[in-house]
Amino acid sequence: MRAKRLFYGMLAGTALGALTILLATGFAMLVGQPLGLFIIWPSLILAPFAVGVVAAWVWKPLDLSISGILLHSLSSTLLGVSAAFFLGSEGIVCLIIGTPILYIGTAAGALTGRVWFRAKRDRLNLCMAPILILAVAAEPGLRGSHRGVVTDEIRISAPPSKVWPHVLAFPEIPDAPDYWLFRAGLPYPTETTNGGNFIGADRACKFSGDAVFKEKIAEFVPERLLTFDIIESPPDPELLGHLDAHRGQFELRDNGDGTTTLIGRTWYSLHVRPSSYFDWWTHDIFRAVHLRVMKHVKRLSESES
Amino acid sequence: MFRFVVRHLRCLARVPFAAQFFDVLLLVWTALFHREKLRAIEALETAALRMPGVKRTTHRLGGIGFERDGHEFAHIHGNGLLDVWLTRERASELVACGIAEPHHVFGPSAWISFWLNTPDDCETALALLEEASSLSLLRSATTQ
Repeated sequence: MRAKRLFYGMLAGTALGALTILLATGFAMLVGQPLGLFIIWPSLILAPFAVGVVAAWVWKPLDLSISGILLHSLSSTLLGVSAAFFLGSEGIVCLIIGTPILYIGTAAGALTGRVWFRAKRDRLNLCMAPILILAVAAEPGLRGSHRGVVTDEIRISAPPSKVWPHVLAFPEIPDAPDYWLFRAGLPYPTETTNGGNFIGADRACKFSGDAVFKEKIAEFVPERLLTFDIIESPPDPELLGHLDAHRGQFELRDNGDGTTTLIGRTWYSLHVRPSSYFDWWTHDIFRAVHLRVMKHVKRLSESES
Repeated sequence: MFRFVVRHLRCLARVPFAAQFFDVLLLVWTALFHREKLRAIEALETAALRMPGVKRTTHRLGGIGFERDGHEFAHIHGNGLLDVWLTRERASELVACGIAEPHHVFGPSAWISFWLNTPDDCETALALLEEASSLSLLRSATTQ
């Protein structure tokens, strides 16, 4: 009976999580937010909070201790994550990144519900539930995308004239990825092709798993600056609905001593919340992408000079 | 962090659930990084709820509250800070002999604050709760 109630609690919470996603997508469509091919994610702290509150309501007769709530919140989180993987076709890396924040949100909701659902105030508290669900579902429709830029730099022992050709295009990077999320399945850069040395020329940045980012050159100053707009991203489950990279740039600074500082920048929009949490991950991932490419450029340039 | 929020962001407590949400995040933090403290909080909660007439309640500014006859006489925050309502004289005594601290918001008053760091602190904390519970019963009787 106890195990059954625990499971029902987890199930009810997960069902509510799925419901808030559907409601959030519907509400976002209603207010005219661009959806593309993906669903809309409510805040990944508020939605699991609601999940935890609902689970705590089902678990109320069990009078769980704080440790019990924390343990079963973990089971709830894993159930939700499994559902997202098997039913929602969510990428494994996204789930790795999302699980800690989902767990904290669920545990916070369940701990709140544990104290909140006292016998004599149940009716009042249950009246608050639809308000909480609506708030969670409406939040994504009312927010804008979080935009940011990631900048990294590397010093290369070669003049800009030697570095520039390898910035424009480079052959396949032979090294195995060293960043742990690349090894876990996140696509990593392998090769760049260049369709011409002029503004408007097509470029393509190839990633592992046959993922290709199609790009168009927006700024072209030989041996100094290459800016490109990302016009098409691959339909990868790790990216869809979460993150859009929309512009990239390489800047070369001549240090005057035969060396060059290569600066890589990527501009992006983040569609998942809380942005401070996911922004940290975004910077970490783009840094790994930049450094993989820039270290390859450094190796090619330095071997020539 | 807790002191900063309590002192400078108190106005946010007017936002529904904000204080409870903050406190519960403190509790999750304690659970993840201060296991000893969590054990102490759990042990104290269990012992307090075994005291006659004591029920768990929600503290309006977040945390697990303890009440008797509908009157809250103590609450514990997610970071292990136990606030207990005694009398002004008794509170001064406890602060003077170093057992407790003045209340973290009110300062010198009938309330005291006591840090629960390890399960060893539970004995003192429970004694404070027993005293506060008895006083709460007396207060209820006087009011009636």
